[in-house]
Amino acid sequence: MMRPARDPRDYLAERRLGARITVIQVLFGAVLAMYLMTFWYLQVVRADYYRRLSDSNHLRRVTIPAERGLITDIGERPLVGNRIAFNIRLDREKTADVDRLLPRLAGVLGVNESTLKDRLARARGRPRFEPVVLKEDVDLKEVAYIEARRLELPMLSVEIESRREYPHGDLAAHVLGYVGEATEEQVKSDPEDLFDLGDIVGKAGLERQYETSLHGIKGWKEVVVNSHGREMQEVGEGRPPSSGHSLRLTIDLELQRILEEAYGQELGSAVFLDAKTGAVLAMISRPAYDPNVFAHRFSEDVWQSLVRDPRHPLQDRVSLSKFAPGSVFKVVMTIAALEEGVARPERVDHCTGSYRFGERTFQCWGIRKGGHGWVDMRQALIESCNIYFYRLGNEMGIERIARWAHLLGFGQATGIDLPHEESGTVPDAPWKARAVPRDPKWHPGETISVSIGQGALEVTPLQMAVFAATVGSGGTVLRPHLVQAREAREGVEQGNVDDVVVRRVELHPNTLKVVKEAMWGVVNEAGGTGGRARLEGYDVCAKTGTAQVFKVSRDIDADKMAKEKRDHAWFVGFAPKDDPQIAFAVFVQNGGHGGTVGAPIARAVLERFFAQREGIKGGLSVASAAPPR
Amino acid sequence: MSQARRHLGSFDGLLFFSALALQIIGLVVIYSSTTGTPSAGAFQRQAMWMALGMAGLLVVLLIDYHTLAEFAVVFYAVSLVLLVATLVFGRVVNASKSWLGIGGMQFQPSELAKVATILMVAAYLGREQVRGLGFVRFAAVAGLVGLPVLLIMQQPDLGTAATFMPLLLGSAFLAGLRIRTIVILVLIAALALPIIWGHLKPYQKERVKIFLEPTRDPKGAGYQLIQSLIAVGSGGVTGKGFLSGTQGSLQFLPEQHTDFVLAVLAEERGFLGSALVLALYFIVLTRCVSTARVARDRLGAFLAMGVACVFGGQALINIGVVLGVLPTTGVPLPLLSYGGSCLVSTLLGLGLVLNVHMRRLVN
Repeated sequence: MMRPARDPRDYLAERRLGARITVIQVLFGAVLAMYLMTFWYLQVVRADYYRRLSDSNHLRRVTIPAERGLITDIGERPLVGNRIAFNIRLDREKTADVDRLLPRLAGVLGVNESTLKDRLARARGRPRFEPVVLKEDVDLKEVAYIEARRLELPMLSVEIESRREYPHGDLAAHVLGYVGEATEEQVKSDPEDLFDLGDIVGKAGLERQYETSLHGIKGWKEVVVNSHGREMQEVGEGRPPSSGHSLRLTIDLELQRILEEAYGQELGSAVFLDAKTGAVLAMISRPAYDPNVFAHRFSEDVWQSLVRDPRHPLQDRVSLSKFAPGSVFKVVMTIAALEEGVARPERVDHCTGSYRFGERTFQCWGIRKGGHGWVDMRQALIESCNIYFYRLGNEMGIERIARWAHLLGFGQATGIDLPHEESGTVPDAPWKARAVPRDPKWHPGETISVSIGQGALEVTPLQMAVFAATVGSGGTVLRPHLVQAREAREGVEQGNVDDVVVRRVELHPNTLKVVKEAMWGVVNEAGGTGGRARLEGYDVCAKTGTAQVFKVSRDIDADKMAKEKRDHAWFVGFAPKDDPQIAFAVFVQNGGHGGTVGAPIARAVLERFFAQREGIKGGLSVASAAPPR
Repeated sequence: MSQARRHLGSFDGLLFFSALALQIIGLVVIYSSTTGTPSAGAFQRQAMWMALGMAGLLVVLLIDYHTLAEFAVVFYAVSLVLLVATLVFGRVVNASKSWLGIGGMQFQPSELAKVATILMVAAYLGREQVRGLGFVRFAAVAGLVGLPVLLIMQQPDLGTAATFMPLLLGSAFLAGLRIRTIVILVLIAALALPIIWGHLKPYQKERVKIFLEPTRDPKGAGYQLIQSLIAVGSGGVTGKGFLSGTQGSLQFLPEQHTDFVLAVLAEERGFLGSALVLALYFIVLTRCVSTARVARDRLGAFLAMGVACVFGGQALINIGVVLGVLPTTGVPLPLLSYGGSCLVSTLLGLGLVLNVHMRRLVN
C-alpha cells in the first residue's frame, strides 16, 4: 500500500525508491529460491550418496578376538590353555604432562623410565584416547594397588586380556610350540583369511600346525565413533566370536613327565610311539624353552637370547635334527641281507678288530679286546660287530642297501603333524652324483661306511622310532601323529585310523625272527649292550648305536672322553617282543654309548607305560596313571 | 492512549513471530547438536541471550525511530569507541580480538556497531530528499560504513566486516546510485581483485582455493565444507530426527552450533526442515522490505532496508557457505546460530523494523 506523497518531487523519488526496493527484494527471493533448489538437490536427489558418506564417517567395524582353542593330553589334562592377564595402561587424555609424570609412574610400576618412554614413543601417532600399555601381565597384588589409587592416579587403568598359558612350562615345548604376533608374511599366506596383522598366531609346533583349527573366528561389532575415533555406543548385532577348536593329543602327560624326568639334563631327544598306531605317546627335545615367554608381546630380548643360544633350544631335535644312525642301521642291513638272499642267518665271519678294504682300514669297536672272533648274524647284531657288516655291505652293494633303507622309512619325511620335518639322507650312487659334484662317483669304501650307519647316512630320531615300530609290527610303516582328536565344527573329529599306515613291507617271518631275537638279546642277554633297559616280563627289544663325533681309537674309552667329544648315543627299540605295544628312539647328544645313557631313559618310560596298561587290564587304578577315556 | 492502541494494531505480528520461530528452532538445534559434546550448556546461555535480546527489542520498539535517529551520531560514536576499546582491551579468541568483557559478560562490539551503523546511514540518507546519489554523498556513506569496517578488520574479523558490505551497497543503491556508477565500481573491484588477493593471509587464500576445489585437502581445510555437505545431504527428505544427527553431535562437523547450525538442522530435520527455515527467512525479509515500502518517510524506509540488507545478506552468506556455494567466511546465521552478540544485534535491528512498521501511519 503506497501512501500518497505530499508533493510531486517526493512522489517521483518514492516511485524510484519503490522500484529499487523491489530490485533488492527480487534479489533476496532469487537467492533464497536458488538455495531451496540446492537443498533439494543435496537432500533429495543426492540423499543416498551423502547418507553413505555419513555412515562411513561414524560407523566402524570393531573386531572381537576369538578365544584360542585348548590343547590337552590324551586324558584331557590341559597342556595349553588361556588365562586372564592384567595389563596396566595409561590414558593419555587424562594427563596434562606425561613427561613429568614418568618418574613417578616408573616408581609406582617398578618399570624403567626409559622403558616407559619407549612404549609411549611407540604409541605416538595413535589417537590420544587409545590407552598405552605400560606394564604387561601384572599380578593381582599390583592390580589391587593400582585400583586402590584411582583418585591419585586416575590416568592408570587395568586392562584384561586373554593370554596363552603353558601350565607345565617347558614340558613337551617342541611338540606344543609357541605363539606370537602374526607377521605380514603370515597374514599374506593365510588362505582362509582368519587373521590380521598383530593377531596372536602359532609360530611353531602344534600351535602352528593346527593354527586354522585353534585360531577360531573373530567376531565383530559395529560401533558409533565420533570424529576422534572414540567409541560412543554399539549398534546392530554384529557377530560374536567363535572360539578356536580344542585339540586332544596322543601325548600322555604321565609318560611325558616320566620321560622329562628320566632324560635329566642331557642334550638330544627321545620319542615314544604307540607301536600299533604311530601315535606319539611322549616326545622330548633338549634343551627346551619355556613357551610362556613368547606369550608376552614385548619379548624381543628373550627371543634374541633364545635365538643366539649356541645350544639352539628352539630346534626340535626329534624331527628337525639328523644324525648318523650308527649301529642301529645294522638292523636295516640284516633285514636287507636276509630279504635279498645275500646271506643266511647262519653265515659266520671272523672279527679281528679291523678290516682292510683297498687302501683304507676300517675298525671294529671291539678292537680293544682283539675283535669279536667268530660271530654269526645274530651274534654280530647283538655284539654290534662292524667287521661282519663291512663284509656284508660290500657283498650287498649300496643299491640294495639304499632300497631297503627307503622301504623301511629312511630318507623320507615320516608325515608327522608338525610344521617342519627333515627327511634325512640315504646315500647311493645317484644321490652322490647330485649332492657332491666335486666327486660324483660312488666309491665302494663309502658302502662300507654306510653298512655300519656312518658316512653320509643321516636319520632323524623320529624316523628311528617309526623304524622300530615297523620292525616290531613286522613291516608296517606307520605315520607318526600327535593329535588324537580335534573338535570340528560339529562334534568331534577323530583321527582316521586307516591313514596312519604309510605302507606295509612284506618281511619273511624268518627275517623278523632273526632281527627280533637279536634285538631281544641286546637287552636281555648277558653280553648285550642294552642291558639297562631290561624289564622283567616285557621282553624289551632294542639296538644301541653311536654316531661318531670323534674317531674311536684303541686307547680311548668312549665313556671317559670329554663330554662334547663323545659320540652321540642311540637306543632304539620296541616292547614287548611278540606283540609290540610301544616303540621308541632315544637319542643323546655326546652321550657316549647308547646302552649307558639311552637304555635307562627308555626303561623308565616303558616301566610306567606297562604299569598303566596292566592297571587298565586288571581294572585297577594305578596311582599315577590316568583313567582311560 | 488511542495512539498506543493504533501502534499496537500496526504491530507486525508476522515478522515478530517468524523471527521468534527461527530463534526457537535455533535453540532446539543448538541443544541437539551440543548434547554430549564439550559445547554442552550453549543452549542455556543462548536462551539467556534471547531473553536479553527480546528486552532490547522491546526498548527499541518503544522509542520512536525518529528520536533514535536523532541520537544516531551518539550511538555510532559510542560503537566506534567500543571498537577501539576492543582493539586495546579485547580478549583474544581464535587469534582475533573481537570480544569485550563488561561485568563478567562477554560481547562483540562489532555486532552492536552493525545496528548503530544502520541507524547512522539511514539517518544520513533519510535526512533530506535526495534525487540520485552523487560521488560525494556516496563517499560519505562509504566513510560511515568504512570506519567501523576498518576497525573490525583490525581485530581481525573479516567475516563480520563483510556483513557491512550489503549495507553500503544496498543503501547506496536505494539512495539512487546510478547503474553506470555501479558498473564502474564493479570494474574497479574486478581490477583490485588481484591486489586484494596479494594481501590476503595464507589461510584466507586457502579458504578460497578450497571453495573452488573442496577435495583438495579433505582432512584439512576442505574438511569442514565436505562435512557440511555430508550433514545436509544425509538428512534426506525427513531428516535423522532430534538428537539423532551424527555429523554434529559426534563432532565431525566443526562449529556445529554456530556457523554450521543450519547443516545440523538440515541433517536432523531433512529437506522439510531446511525448506521451513528458508521460508521463515523469506517471510522475515519480505516483511522488512514491505515495511520499507509502507514506511512513513525515507528514514523509515532506509532503516528497514538497512536491517534487511545487513541481516538478510548475512543469512544468505551463511547459508551459501553451508551449501558450499560460497567460501568459508565465519559468519553466523542470524537468529539461528549460537552467539549472544549476534542474536541481540539482530533483535535490535528487527526492533527498528517493527518500530518503523508500527509508526507507519501519520497522526
